[in-house]
Amino acid sequence: MTSTQAAPLQVVATFSIIGDMAGEVGGDLVDLKTLVAPDADAHVYEPRPADAMAIARADVVLTNGLEFEGFLSRLIAASGTDASIIALTDGLPTMEEPGGGHYHYVNGEAIFHAGAHDPHVWQSVENAKGYVANISAAFCAADADNCTQYQANAADYSARLDTLDAQIRASIDALPADRRTVVVAHNAFRYFEAAYGVTFLSPQGVSTEGEAAAADVAGLIREIRAANAGAIFGENISDTRLLERIGEETGLTLSGTLYSDALSGADGPAPTYIAMMRHNTSAITAALTAE
Amino acid sequence: MFKYLATASAIAMATTAFAQEHDHDHDHHDEDVTLYRVFVGDHAGGSVTALDLADPDHRWQFDTTGQVKLFGVAGGATVAAVQSDDNAVHFFSSGISFEDHGDHADIAVSDPAAIDTVLTGPRPFHVVDHGGSVIINYDQGGYAELIDAHHLSHGEVELTTFTQSQAHHGFVALLGGNLLSTVASDVVDAPRLGLQAFNADGTPAGELATCTAIHGEAFSGAYLAAGCREGVLTATASADGVTYNMLPYEADLPAGNTTGTLLGSTGIQVFLGNYGANGLVVVDPVDAPHFRYIELPFRRVDFALDPVHPANGYVLTEDGTLHQVNLLEAALTGSVKVTEPYSMDGHWNDARPRLAMAGDEVIITDPNAGLLRRIDTDTLRETGTIAVEGAPYNIAVVGGSGIDH
Ligand SMILES: [Zn+2]
Ligand SMILES: [Zn+2]
Repeated sequence: MTSTQAAPLQVVATFSIIGDMAGEVGGDLVDLKTLVAPDADAHVYEPRPADAMAIARADVVLTNGLEFEGFLSRLIAASGTDASIIALTDGLPTMEEPGGGHYHYVNGEAIFHAGAHDPHVWQSVENAKGYVANISAAFCAADADNCTQYQANAADYSARLDTLDAQIRASIDALPADRRTVVVAHNAFRYFEAAYGVTFLSPQGVSTEGEAAAADVAGLIREIRAANAGAIFGENISDTRLLERIGEETGLTLSGTLYSDALSGADGPAPTYIAMMRHNTSAITAALTAE
Repeated sequence: MFKYLATASAIAMATTAFAQEHDHDHDHHDEDVTLYRVFVGDHAGGSVTALDLADPDHRWQFDTTGQVKLFGVAGGATVAAVQSDDNAVHFFSSGISFEDHGDHADIAVSDPAAIDTVLTGPRPFHVVDHGGSVIINYDQGGYAELIDAHHLSHGEVELTTFTQSQAHHGFVALLGGNLLSTVASDVVDAPRLGLQAFNADGTPAGELATCTAIHGEAFSGAYLAAGCREGVLTATASADGVTYNMLPYEADLPAGNTTGTLLGSTGIQVFLGNYGANGLVVVDPVDAPHFRYIELPFRRVDFALDPVHPANGYVLTEDGTLHQVNLLEAALTGSVKVTEPYSMDGHWNDARPRLAMAGDEVIITDPNAGLLRRIDTDTLRETGTIAVEGAPYNIAVVGGSGIDH
């Protein structure tokens, strides 16, 4: 039986970034459904009946792991699935999450995303290659007939990721040493920071409302001034009210949008993982080299 | 003010400081403890029996003013006993509390106890437990009382009052930064008008969302849903207040019926509602079709959702059969005869069975038999009965699993 006659491997990816990677490795051999759409925050995602039905049908479910997808265990319980549930961060070097988690900003409110390990592992391209290797291994385990093709796709994609990694390094290395700090909406770039040497400052659990928050924002503003941060960025998955306020008090205007936890739609600047990393890098370097 | 209600409230509500009175293993090994405690109100009124499901002879008796409807609130640390006909609300500390540690929860167990504070007011009815507040609507008082859920979990009843423009059979719920309240007409006997967001002082914080004869609220995922004549109204918190969406009843649903009671799944974003006397409807607030109808062979007596297997619900029909409902398939996936028939003819408050979930069991009150019946959700077999004096009627189950360090 040839692969074209076999039913395609049923794959569910939990969010857009690993959905894109899964598409690169699986190509036409897999029938792929991604749960959390582009520009949407996986942290506050609420699983739907259609998601449970997709998971019930799936052969392979690709997840980030490290408690990134807070909805996952509920969804798996609802689906009653026998699919293999793969955590793509398995075996990759992970950082502990200071304070046991990080904050997201939704509708003007700070929402704590608890977790022992920082889940944003894909923010270093070297780590993304680890995701790709795990995806390829998962597909091979579920569909041995097409393993060679999955491995070939993964090798091709990994080569493009190597190129991407070198491009990011070259861009950041070209920045002056004292222009390497930016402010972002949520603490999602620690792997990027470790890999490429840009420092990211972000609000830690401050809300946009009330008096208590004023003191917390003041702390971040002091930090921003001390580090001479060169740019402040909004984020595609959260509202910008808090950042606009921080910008006003530090004299920084928003330098654009970074894509941390979700791709953009097809018409946006970050419809794929590679485009996302390129976009973020050029947005950061452009802002830091300005004036 | 710090506001990260979505995640923090569940943890806060479950955090209590009851002393651990049970026997510790002398080695001080961590022990996995599963304990469900059942509260049952008598149909004739005036008494509530609490018992441990694993050891049904371990039981406690409490007096109330009249017949109760029981609600596990504040993360199950407290049981509210609402006595609509007797204008009173009693509270009981359930004696089971959880402290969430992310990857596991610690369980603390003590005896249940009556909380001294008893609320009185004209016809308390709907209770909404969401977002850190337990809110009781007083249908003939024209107001609701908001009780801080965290304090309630410690046995303290801390009240604030929200005043409505008209007394009516309705509800008040916390959603994001707003209080949502049903709104009634000032015309006598006119149907309720709909749902509106208010500030805590009772001033409007948004326009009225029409939902004629609105009744029955439930939360699931990001949504509150309520039934009305036009369809099911959903509400979500958004950056600028509340976003409403009316899901009209679709043409393929049996005509002339409406939804008035909704249950919200805690596992996936979906609701199960009544639809006519012998129908149920699965309501998907996001994806079409928004309604999927399930026809029942007889009229419905009571229904419940399964938090352990979130795709499943259970419905008892008047022939005494318990049916398993699969919400994903919108179909009945199993049936078992569990009680003698209980006709739905007669008064709505006649003694009829009520359902509650306890882990892998459905607990059914069988008032005429003086029993609780335990049905295993895996096999749909009765695994035992528990005799309760009088006519066991309304029921609430609290508890679950945790680690006892
Ligand atoms: Zn994040
Ligand atoms: Zn612990």
